[in-house]
Amino acid sequence: MTTAQAPCSRCASPLEREDLRCPICNAAAPEGEREDRQQTEIEVLRCEGCGAAVAYDVRARAPACAFCGSVMYIEVPEDPPEQIEGYLPFTVSRERAGEAHRSWLRGLGWFRPSDLHSASRMESMTPLWWVGWVFDAEAAATWAADSDAGARRADWAPHSGQTDLEFENVIVSASRGLSSSETDRLIPTYDLTSARDRPDETVTEAVVEQFDLPRSTARGRVAAFIRRTVADRLQQGHIPGRRFRNVNAALVLRRLVTRRRAFPSWVLAYRYRGALYRVVISGQDAGCLVGSAPYSVAKIVGVVCGGALVLALIVSLILAL
Amino acid sequence: MVDVNDRVEVSCESCGAKVVVEPLQRTSRCPYCDSPSVIDRPATADRPDPVFAIGFAVDQKQADGLVRAFLKRKKMAPFGLARAFAEMVQGVYVPAYLYSAVASSSYAARIGEDYWVTETTRDSKGRTRTRRKRKTELRDLRGSHRTYLGDVLVTASRGVSNEELESAEPYDLDELKRYAPGLVAGWSSEEPSLTREDCLALARRESAAEVGRLLREFMPGDSVRGLDHQTTFEDESADLTLLPMWVFAVRYSQEKPPIRLIVNGQTGEVWGRVPTSWRKIGLVVAVVLGLLAVPILVAMIAGLLQ
Repeated sequence: MTTAQAPCSRCASPLEREDLRCPICNAAAPEGEREDRQQTEIEVLRCEGCGAAVAYDVRARAPACAFCGSVMYIEVPEDPPEQIEGYLPFTVSRERAGEAHRSWLRGLGWFRPSDLHSASRMESMTPLWWVGWVFDAEAAATWAADSDAGARRADWAPHSGQTDLEFENVIVSASRGLSSSETDRLIPTYDLTSARDRPDETVTEAVVEQFDLPRSTARGRVAAFIRRTVADRLQQGHIPGRRFRNVNAALVLRRLVTRRRAFPSWVLAYRYRGALYRVVISGQDAGCLVGSAPYSVAKIVGVVCGGALVLALIVSLILAL
Repeated sequence: MVDVNDRVEVSCESCGAKVVVEPLQRTSRCPYCDSPSVIDRPATADRPDPVFAIGFAVDQKQADGLVRAFLKRKKMAPFGLARAFAEMVQGVYVPAYLYSAVASSSYAARIGEDYWVTETTRDSKGRTRTRRKRKTELRDLRGSHRTYLGDVLVTASRGVSNEELESAEPYDLDELKRYAPGLVAGWSSEEPSLTREDCLALARRESAAEVGRLLREFMPGDSVRGLDHQTTFEDESADLTLLPMWVFAVRYSQEKPPIRLIVNGQTGEVWGRVPTSWRKIGLVVAVVLGLLAVPILVAMIAGLLQ
């Protein structure tokens, strides 16, 4: 419904039907067929209601009839909200997720309350498809930066260069419900080839998050993500040296293809002594768990005091000797 | 060059009267029955079909109010300007090219990298003093820079200079629409009167300045000197775009030519070069001097009385 449009003539990124200009390189999108005029033609727009000639009206932002007030339709570039195109299935069941949470609570270590495992109560356990983009792109980067390589008297020396970078199957979160620190941890666990057209029925009552931003903003977000990532990538072997600053890159992006995906996860809320904690588990890997848990204040205070006591003892012993 | 003999004779569809439309007009109104029509001429290299347009969002009354407010803010404008009559109000769709390209530059610069040295000096009493002093090491840097450039608008009209268009900018290009006759019907809309090549030259000049700005931000180091760049533009495109603009001529004196004011028909931004009145400045200076003189005079008189 949205594709089936020739790619951009300048940067080969796929265009969508609603695009007036390519969102990546600003080239005008090819227009539909427009017949070649051999002769001058005079066009008079007529009101569909009363047949009077109409003019563009500022308040209506469209041609409007001064006599009967009817407004003519004018094509407005649409900017529809993003729609999910593929769902990655849940491979972690409800039981498996619950079990992963319990064993995580047990294995958190000594500084947690001793009764954390037994006194925690599960409040809710929601299967959630969070949304994000998967993109491929080619980026021709020209860059300039300071690094320690070749430095003389000053700590820094300037460098410049060109690097072609490829992006394949990179996931960018569009989730509102999950924080970026949560999605960053979940992202490596997903098998992107498993995407299907519709949600699987193995998990019932799953919440499907929606992309709540229009398409124009969406591709801007992906492009901004690429810009941020490029500086990091360049520091891994492309710019000489070990320390860097002022890493600036100009990008010419090509073939930016984005796919809109829903990623499965389990969102657990549990209560310990009245306070609520959240844990997110990947829907495709029970071993990947991100969340918070309380610390035992008593144990920490105890250790600090104990440590101080031991220190004091040693010091006094040394002084006594 | 634009063909001056390209006048069109239109016979009004509503009342049948014959109307002649000037070659640079895209639209006309029948003088007898006021019916608006849009003229579509065969596209040529220098007069392509419009691709995009931005519709007027500011009507004549609003534009008029914005101009009054603008003139009122100009305190040093000649007498009578604030009350002057804004004549020849015209809402016009100005032809412009929306230009985009890949800009490839090679640059050379001297990059300053700062470092600190500790200097030990001895003062007159023989005490040593140390202080840290910043020094700059200059390193040569050459490289290339490639980027997409878009959103560059240049005029295609002899009536509105590129400087005037730049002053009326920015236009919100998110509101860009595909050109349709319905957007300009009933309004004055101009055909391009500059050749495409001239407009491309303007666009390249504007883009080169933009590349210069980008390059200054692109340079590493603590300081930059002698930044020099050569830029070529590849894969250019320029799409004819109709931009809404209100043009006012304000006459405040019989002897002086009217002042031209331009209102961005989308955002309502006003621009115009308003002269400064030397008489007003002289008056202000006189008043200030007068006020300064009062206490001095008072003091002198007081001194005389004692």
